[in-house]
Amino acid sequence: MKNKVFMGLAAIVMVAFLSSCGTVPQAQIDAVNVAIDSAAKVEAGTYLPTEFAAVQDSMKAIMADVEVQKSKLFKKFGPAKLKLEALLVQTNGLAANTAVKKEEVKKEVETTLTDIKTVIEENGKLFKKAPRGKEGAAVLEQIKTEMATIDAAVVEAQASYDKGTYMDALNKIKAAKERATGINTELKDAIAKVRR
Amino acid sequence: MRRIYIKTLFFIAAAGLLALIVYSLIAFVPKPPAKEIDNARVALSKAFKSKADTYSKKLYTEAKANYDSAMVNWRKQNAKFIYFRKFDKVLKFAKLSTNKSKQAVESSNLSSSTYKSKLQDKIVSLNKLVEDITNYFNRYPLPKDTRNSISKGKLYLKEAEIDYSKGHYIPANKKLNDSEDLLSSAYDKAYADLEQYFKYYPVWKKWAESAIKESKQNQSYSILVDKLSKKCYVYYNGIKKYEFDVELGVNWVGVKKKMGDKATPEGNYRIVKKFSGTKYNNALLIDYPNDEDKVRFNHEKAKGLIPQNAKIGYGIEIHGSGGKGVDWTEGCIALEDREMEVIYRIVAVGTPVTIVGSMKNLQQILTR
Repeated sequence: MKNKVFMGLAAIVMVAFLSSCGTVPQAQIDAVNVAIDSAAKVEAGTYLPTEFAAVQDSMKAIMADVEVQKSKLFKKFGPAKLKLEALLVQTNGLAANTAVKKEEVKKEVETTLTDIKTVIEENGKLFKKAPRGKEGAAVLEQIKTEMATIDAAVVEAQASYDKGTYMDALNKIKAAKERATGINTELKDAIAKVRR
Repeated sequence: MRRIYIKTLFFIAAAGLLALIVYSLIAFVPKPPAKEIDNARVALSKAFKSKADTYSKKLYTEAKANYDSAMVNWRKQNAKFIYFRKFDKVLKFAKLSTNKSKQAVESSNLSSSTYKSKLQDKIVSLNKLVEDITNYFNRYPLPKDTRNSISKGKLYLKEAEIDYSKGHYIPANKKLNDSEDLLSSAYDKAYADLEQYFKYYPVWKKWAESAIKESKQNQSYSILVDKLSKKCYVYYNGIKKYEFDVELGVNWVGVKKKMGDKATPEGNYRIVKKFSGTKYNNALLIDYPNDEDKVRFNHEKAKGLIPQNAKIGYGIEIHGSGGKGVDWTEGCIALEDREMEVIYRIVAVGTPVTIVGSMKNLQQILTR
């Protein structure tokens, strides 16, 4: 009789053990969430949007896996734990890559700012040499206005750069550089025409 | 023997019962809709990739909210005792999320492709507008604020093109709208100005036609200057023989009103003297002011439209030293030296010179 009671108890203990052997890898979950937040703070969504979205999606998939295991009688969080560890490495890598990408964009803005300043300076010199005859002319007046607009755009781009919004600065400065280069060509053509 | 048989039977029954209990423990655990949740997640991810968060914001937000609700409910149910869990709400939210995501993808693809093509059209049309403005108004004396608008409009257009090339359609659209506002208003102002000027077109047309007719009747040369297109045409026997580029007075729009206004006159004139070796090389002096100019000058002076001490201009010539690419004269018509030489060689004193605002009407010139 004692044996029967013992066997019954053993079965119940076994079931209870199997159903509660897995614990949610909360520490790993928290670590990945912190890493995702950090990546967001360094603007991974702006500089590496595809990679950032992939990390977020992977986290969603893992969280669904965790819930699947939580729903089971016999829980097994091992695979989810492994996935979380891999995702943590990936997310930390993403934050580092974002910093690299941001630095690249920053450098590009700096280079373009230097380039455009050279073009603007040259345009100023060319403008003085441009054919104007006895008086100023409509064409030169338009060029002068455009040069002022470009100057203003450079100031705006510099402000965006100073604020650390390098993507905005890059777009603005690129457009301004294209216009400044266009004016440079126009002025050179006009001067060459007179020299002919 | 019988005892052994009963004992065995008891053990079999106990084992069967235990197996039944274990089976019941496993079989009656409620199944979560894991597959549906996964489908919802994949669909949501697809929706994000198709930029539904931008182009189908409402549907995407709903899909995301439903997915989040499914997960929250799932967690809530998982917190309950295993046999008391109910996943019907989780399933409902997961399915809803999948459907909304699919709709968001469709709607986003449709609107982003429509949006993209609309933006492309807008870029093309604004570049055409810039081209028109450059062609027709670059050498047209526009007010400073109009020039400012053109300049800013061009820069916004460039920025929009950069955004568009990167697939950033929303900011591209915003910049295109800003650009359109500036360029269109500048164009409209300039157009209104030009329209006012073109009220004289019927007169110009008549002058040009009679100049060509006279050339035919007299089998002689006739010079026609089109101020807007900056062209000088030489007709002989009613047929256009030469076409040259010209440069005019700085304020070439409109008639010449007084001395020093740097305007090129409009009217019917004749060559009264030929000069060579002048400051501007070969030169043909015309009989400006003619009687009509004098009448207008006196009339405007009498009406106080021009200052009382103003004098009527003189010394308007067709001369060389042109080819600068800008309007620079005091009111004369400048040609490149080698072209001036051609005209100088073929025309004589008395050759008619007709100066008009334009030989084409406004519609022919401005096609938007």
